Amino acid sequence: MNPEFKRNLWLVFTPQRLIVTPILLTLVFVSIGMFNQDQIATNLHGLARIMFTFIVWFWGLRNANASITDELREKTWDQQRMSALQPWAMTWGKLFGATAFAWYAGLICLAVAAFFGWMTQGESVFINLLTLVLTGILLHAASIALNLHTSQIESRTVQQGGVGWFGLFALILLWVMGARWFTVEAVNWWGMVFSTPSFLLFSSLLFAGFAVFAAWRRMDNALQVRTLPWAWPLFAVVLAVYLAGLIGDADDNTLIVFSTTALLVAVAMTYIALISEPTGLLVWQRLKRRQELGDWRGFLERLPLWPSTLVLAFVFAMLASANLTDWNVTPTLNLFFGLAPLGVALMLLRDVCVFLFFTLAPNAKRAFSAALFYLIVINMVLPFLAQVAGLSSLRYLLLPIDLANPWNGVLIMSIHAIIAFGLFRWRLSHAMKD
Amino acid sequence: MIEISNLTFDYPGHRALDDVSLKVQSGSVTALVGPNGAGKTTLMRCIAGLESPLSGTIHVAGMDVIEKPREVHRIMGYLSDFFGLYQELTVAQCLEYAAASQGLPSNAIHDAIILTARQLDLSDRLQQISGSLSRGLRQRLAIGQAIIHGPKVLLLDEPASGLDPEARASLAMLFRQLQTSGMTLLVSSHILAELDEYSTHMLSLRNGRVLENRAISGSQPAIAQRRIRLKLSLADARLVDWIANKPGATIIKADAENAEFDLQGDLSVQSLLLRELVIAGFQVASFAEHKENLQQSYLQSVAANPIASHS
Repeated sequence: MNPEFKRNLWLVFTPQRLIVTPILLTLVFVSIGMFNQDQIATNLHGLARIMFTFIVWFWGLRNANASITDELREKTWDQQRMSALQPWAMTWGKLFGATAFAWYAGLICLAVAAFFGWMTQGESVFINLLTLVLTGILLHAASIALNLHTSQIESRTVQQGGVGWFGLFALILLWVMGARWFTVEAVNWWGMVFSTPSFLLFSSLLFAGFAVFAAWRRMDNALQVRTLPWAWPLFAVVLAVYLAGLIGDADDNTLIVFSTTALLVAVAMTYIALISEPTGLLVWQRLKRRQELGDWRGFLERLPLWPSTLVLAFVFAMLASANLTDWNVTPTLNLFFGLAPLGVALMLLRDVCVFLFFTLAPNAKRAFSAALFYLIVINMVLPFLAQVAGLSSLRYLLLPIDLANPWNGVLIMSIHAIIAFGLFRWRLSHAMKD
Repeated sequence: MIEISNLTFDYPGHRALDDVSLKVQSGSVTALVGPNGAGKTTLMRCIAGLESPLSGTIHVAGMDVIEKPREVHRIMGYLSDFFGLYQELTVAQCLEYAAASQGLPSNAIHDAIILTARQLDLSDRLQQISGSLSRGLRQRLAIGQAIIHGPKVLLLDEPASGLDPEARASLAMLFRQLQTSGMTLLVSSHILAELDEYSTHMLSLRNGRVLENRAISGSQPAIAQRRIRLKLSLADARLVDWIANKPGATIIKADAENAEFDLQGDLSVQSLLLRELVIAGFQVASFAEHKENLQQSYLQSVAANPIASHS
């Protein structure tokens, strides 16, 4: 048996818990069933679903989160990193081991929900229940992946409770989205019509698969297995295909819808990677060293995630620009606030350079917060102040939104990017010399 | 067994290891000494493949740690200075997990647990919850987890910190046993007295640089040179010249009553010299080999390398 899975089973299962849990759950279901006997099947199905959600989604998320945070806090992480366990074995050992008790109780609820749901709704209930199960796996795996990812930059945060709150945020988001989607009967995706339950099942399967894969990849890195940076941009493309299929209308130009959506996804993922990965001098020194040695595989293995989606952003910006003739042709473009696609990519490049300029500063302790502060000032505060002060020309120079002629924005953003890039190069060369 | 070339490691704003090159002999117990912040823990973590250096190479048993850390882990055990245990598991479960996660075949795990528990004097505590163990026993269990797969190299970072004298003595005995079984040990501490008992080599670090890396005289039975201390009960003016004229003897310091000198040769040479001293009429009160004191050696190496010490 997988040693990590077995160790988790030792920790979470005791004979008392194994016996008491089904008894308690049975008592709850019997009590509710006796309380209202008119619609017993409907009530028990609904209750079992709620209990499954609470036990597997919430409690399981907490346990999955703890599978990394506890190792770091209890100083057992080094032992695990030096073990001979393969990253995949460590990943599934934690994913299903740490959450094993939540699954044990959850599967009892699921069985009740399936039985009474089948009595009232027929076989269609199984699709909904499978979606619940896959969403549980998605949340658990995402929590493990996020904790492993963020532990690279700030292990104290992970030790103090991890990024489980991200999971809670995701849960709320899922509920909001689910509530909206359950009101529609069908979902149009790339012109294909799916029933809502089928589409939710497809979505949860897709993202659960990616979350497990992400946890595995992060575990690879934690256990010193080096990987080439293809998974992050691949996820960006898949996410773009998924979202573009939902955003686009039948009349839209498919290529434009996809490329503009993909640009937005690449931009968002670049910002996320940039602020969640180490970006200090050490990263650049290691890359320079690999470059000097001519070790290009080693160079790529040490490359952070953000450059891959930054490059993707420019690729999609150019793809969108090449196919764009009418700036108001799709609703997607409205998201750009009047900036041409290439202007968006250039703005991203500028922000990346500004961020790196600050994180390479000698006082590294405050660099991160300073970088975030200046990005907010450049992108929001200054344009807003210029606008409210009636200095529209200055506002235009700071944030060149111009639906009438977006190419002007590209020119101004190019100047922004060149200045920011120059500052970054200057700071990097000075830091390397020091 | 361990070979390091031009190893440099940086933390943000601080160079922890600066062009470190060294070799650790197979079967040795090397005391890694130096003040707090000298780079001892960073060096150990680099050797263990837990940190990626900026530049340089590390080879353990001929394997490149930076390129193939997981292969090196199979022949290495590491005890961190702030180690942790799975508090809710029993001693047997902790050892079983360590053995299984280090890739021992399932049919070998039981024997490995029994052997390791016996080696660490934990046989009667296998069913005890690890969280309820004393500090010394926790330390033993952590070492047990690190050696259960029979590593060739064992890295121990401050293994005796917080232990009482009795536990330290038994730890020293354990390290000698492990060395006898052929294991190479690298043990770090800034309390040099505790390393004195079992170290064969001293590796001294300061400000991320190697001050000294050498065998400790008197630590090996077959060593060609030994340091002798001599004390007379009655001062004799002939003593200094008499020793100076003896072939193989090199005076470190001497006067009419005391002498400290290096002597080339084995125990029979030492025995012969003592007899000659007595025959020559010297009133010998004591005549013994002096095992080098790690504390003094370290302080001497610091004094001999003032640039590395203060840069």
